[in-house]
Amino acid sequence: MRLRVSHTTAYSYSAPASLSQNEVYLTPRQTATQQVLSSELQLTPQPEYLHRRCDYFGNIAHVFMVQQGHRQLAVTAVSEVLTSAAPAVSPQATLAWEQVVERLGRHAAEDELAALQFSFASPMVVVEEEVRAYAARSFPSGRAVLAGALDLMGRIYGEFSYDKTASTVETSVGEVLASRRGVCQDFAHLAIACLRSLGLAARYVSGYLQTLPPPGRPRLVGADASHAWVALYVPDVGWVDFDPTNNMPVGESHITVAWGRDYSDVAPVKGVVMGGGTHTLEVRVDVVQLG
Amino acid sequence: MVDEATPELLRQRQERVKRMRHEDGATYNPFDAPDGRGIPYALEMVPVPLTTEEWRHLEQGLMQRATLLERILADVYGPQQLLKSGLLPPELIFANPRFLPVCHGIRPAGGRFLPFYAADCYRGSDGVFRVLRDYGGTPVGLGYALENRMVISRIFAELYHGTQIRRLAPFFRAFQTAMGSRALSRREDPNIALLSPGPESPIYFEQALLSRYLGYPLVEGPDLTVRNGRVFLKKLAGLEPVDALFRHVDDRHSDPFALRRDTTLGVAGLIQAAREGTIDIVNPVGAAFVDTPLLSLLLPRLCRHLLEEALVLAGHGGLWCGEEEGRREALRRAAELHFMPALDDTAAIDPDPRRAVAASPLAVMAREAVMPSLVPVWSEGGLAMRPLLMRLFVCASEGGFTVLPGGLGMTAVDVETLLSGVPERLASKDIWVLSDEPVEPFSMMSGLHSVGDFRRSSDLPSRVADNLLWLGRYLERAEGQVRLLRAIFRRLAGESRPEDIPELSFLLALLQAIGVTVPLSADRRPDQAALALALDEALFHRERAQSVAAVLKLVQTAARNVRDRLSRDCWRVIDRLEDFGDGGGSDPLELLDNTLFSLSAFSGMAMEGMTRGLGWRFMDMGRRIERALHQTALLRFALPEEGMGRPYALEALLEVADSIMTYRARYRTAFMTAPVLDLLLLDESNPKSLVFQLERLAGHVDLLPRQNERRYAGVEARLALEMLTAARLVDITATISTGDASSPDRQLGGFLDSMAEKLLEFAQQLSAHYLTRVTATPHFSHCAGDHGP
Repeated sequence: MRLRVSHTTAYSYSAPASLSQNEVYLTPRQTATQQVLSSELQLTPQPEYLHRRCDYFGNIAHVFMVQQGHRQLAVTAVSEVLTSAAPAVSPQATLAWEQVVERLGRHAAEDELAALQFSFASPMVVVEEEVRAYAARSFPSGRAVLAGALDLMGRIYGEFSYDKTASTVETSVGEVLASRRGVCQDFAHLAIACLRSLGLAARYVSGYLQTLPPPGRPRLVGADASHAWVALYVPDVGWVDFDPTNNMPVGESHITVAWGRDYSDVAPVKGVVMGGGTHTLEVRVDVVQLG
Repeated sequence: MVDEATPELLRQRQERVKRMRHEDGATYNPFDAPDGRGIPYALEMVPVPLTTEEWRHLEQGLMQRATLLERILADVYGPQQLLKSGLLPPELIFANPRFLPVCHGIRPAGGRFLPFYAADCYRGSDGVFRVLRDYGGTPVGLGYALENRMVISRIFAELYHGTQIRRLAPFFRAFQTAMGSRALSRREDPNIALLSPGPESPIYFEQALLSRYLGYPLVEGPDLTVRNGRVFLKKLAGLEPVDALFRHVDDRHSDPFALRRDTTLGVAGLIQAAREGTIDIVNPVGAAFVDTPLLSLLLPRLCRHLLEEALVLAGHGGLWCGEEEGRREALRRAAELHFMPALDDTAAIDPDPRRAVAASPLAVMAREAVMPSLVPVWSEGGLAMRPLLMRLFVCASEGGFTVLPGGLGMTAVDVETLLSGVPERLASKDIWVLSDEPVEPFSMMSGLHSVGDFRRSSDLPSRVADNLLWLGRYLERAEGQVRLLRAIFRRLAGESRPEDIPELSFLLALLQAIGVTVPLSADRRPDQAALALALDEALFHRERAQSVAAVLKLVQTAARNVRDRLSRDCWRVIDRLEDFGDGGGSDPLELLDNTLFSLSAFSGMAMEGMTRGLGWRFMDMGRRIERALHQTALLRFALPEEGMGRPYALEALLEVADSIMTYRARYRTAFMTAPVLDLLLLDESNPKSLVFQLERLAGHVDLLPRQNERRYAGVEARLALEMLTAARLVDITATISTGDASSPDRQLGGFLDSMAEKLLEFAQQLSAHYLTRVTATPHFSHCAGDHGP
């Protein structure tokens, strides 16, 4: 599927900001199921400093600094990608979860060692006892690891409600578990915490999802949002992505941008501004299918 | 040395040690809680001697250890071969908060991953030296080791100079040379600064001392900014590039942009600058990986692998519960072993070993009890034996490492306290490394008193200028208050009854100039009780913003913020002000006399001892602003007074305005209104007159750095000129031509009011132009994917 995504983040400041430093993860990754055809970053005002690098997790990060006084800052990324569906994996055919934990512990293969780093606590994913208990119900002894993960996803989808007002970028997994509300980032963190509590390797994936309007309604431009989901490491198969916010496997309509241990590794836009007073933020995301 | 001296002599010496340390300012925030907190690494006088052979072994072992740890750091933040080949357990990197993924792939600009390193060593009961802990992030204690040597070598001058004891200075010279040449490789005449978390740090003293001794200006996070991938120091005239930083802000707080956001200690963008290779940081951010307790257990194996030799200095050893074998053994011997965090030593583990291991085995390690050998310590009751840890320091030098021949000896009442490592709970000792060859006398003390700015420039960080301006203002404010209160107490201390002192009510009216109002009874006589209360509050009330005690506290706070800019002598005076009002029941007149003496001593020293640079200029401007405000206020409240014009009132006015000697020398007549007003307002040669202050302000403003080359272009310059012109145009003789005391009031009053207003505006404009500081706020985009099925 050929998709174009346009993602704008615009800040307005009540007072002039003198220096703004930003790091953005907005350039999609090249993967086995995603080919990046083009990707462009538009910054207003033009930053005096721009730096692009491949980070520790293999993502493309841009750091830029606007060094003259400004009252507005807009970051727009426009990318075109060609996505394909991941080969189907039969959940029941995957290894029992205990065997996966054991394989990770031995990490005889290189990609098992690489996966292992996603099995520990990270800045925003701290495993607490409640999380362990919540996860255990989906993973009775001997259950195939992917079957357990999909069951967990179904439970999160069924037992938690989507609520934009319930959380902030700093909301912890424990808070989400207690309130049973959150947004995609929170559900992804919760699923990751559950999987890691068992010793499994799970990573946070940041990206977009093409949304289709309800039947008979026009598509609303800019109504989309940045999205986040989870990938689980399954030995002999690789990383399997799934989307707990929507209780669905990750497919052609998902665009992968970056992955890391949690949100803090791959926040789409983050920064520090000197001055600026109070700021208002406007985000517009638009995903369209081409041809 | 100890054998020959009598207990009394030793007691005296220890007392001197304490006092010298205090006067050097090596105490914990002495202004806030004089008794609440202890002194970090309080110095105890008996040194720890090390023989030439012992030292050779330690030195060799530490150099090897530093070499090894630097190789490990370079690998962990680079190719990670040790991880891939199974020599490092993955948890050490993946589950370790001391490993910072964001720093991976950065090659230090100076080429050194571990330019500065420290280790805590102890001697076991078997006589063998072992390493207990390694420090690679921001090793602490080098400044205290230096301070201890300076004090002890003075106290035991004869012994020190008569014995062949290795000097510390060559190490600091090696440190300086290495840092300088690494920075020099990128730019001629490099700028090096010392990054401090600020005066709130319990060991700020150390940072200020090192800054001076090494000649690196002391800067704080808000002083620095990153532009175009480079670090700059914000100065009055603009931005100046920084090529190297001696970092004393820990890893996690060093960059609020790339790491934690809830901090203002670090420099936003520092890691990006490191990534660009534009700054040499000692140590590079991420080097605290070396401090991970688990790492020391792996060193014997890593040493054989990386250096192909055995480890010279053994570590204390231990068992890691992240491995099956270690866990089993540790739990089997749980009763006799001490369990501790293996990775994040800032996080506590469950006190029950089994529960701790069950919760997260990889986070736990166990070791045998540490039994350091005991050394003699001079304590209250005489000599006692206490356990000793030695913190030894290593710096990178060309092609290798250099070890400080000395260090910080640390003792405590028991081993547990000693291992807690809390500086305020430890006592410290000098370590003497004996040499079998003559020691070359060498000192860097000559550089110690110089103010550390980037040397070729007379420019100054804005934050420092800000604090110096306020230091000048508070000092002058205190002086004005003290002078006025002293005049009143002096009269009350005499034999006359208050109602028989004609100028008393006049002086009490002047108290309004320092914000004190004394309620008067109907016959305009002060009520005794109310007067006593008002005066007591004016002196001691800590919450009252205008009391002498409160202003002296502000003096100390401002001074503390620029501690590194003031000479040691200035510090001694400031320390004296610390006790104001704490004595309780002391004679107020004597207290005021002493305080005024200290304030004058400080002014004299600052006038004589400070370089006439921008720092001095800002401090002097602060004084001038405040003195002008004070004189204006005094006259403003004097003029409407009934007694104004009478000789006794004029004399009192001259006294509080500190101009009585000048008046007598100049006029040799009785006190008369016109000459008095002329002397206080317009006399350009009276250093206390208003015009004198205004002239000085105009002169200073003219010499401040400016972007715009036009003179008097700034608002503050225009205001200074305006005030000076207005004051010069005042015609005293005309305003009092009637000879009537009430007449000058109306005309002069208006002038004084507008002067006070303009002075405050001037101060505001000055701050806005040169000293503005803006706050930084973080921002994020929130992922809010809202998708129905």
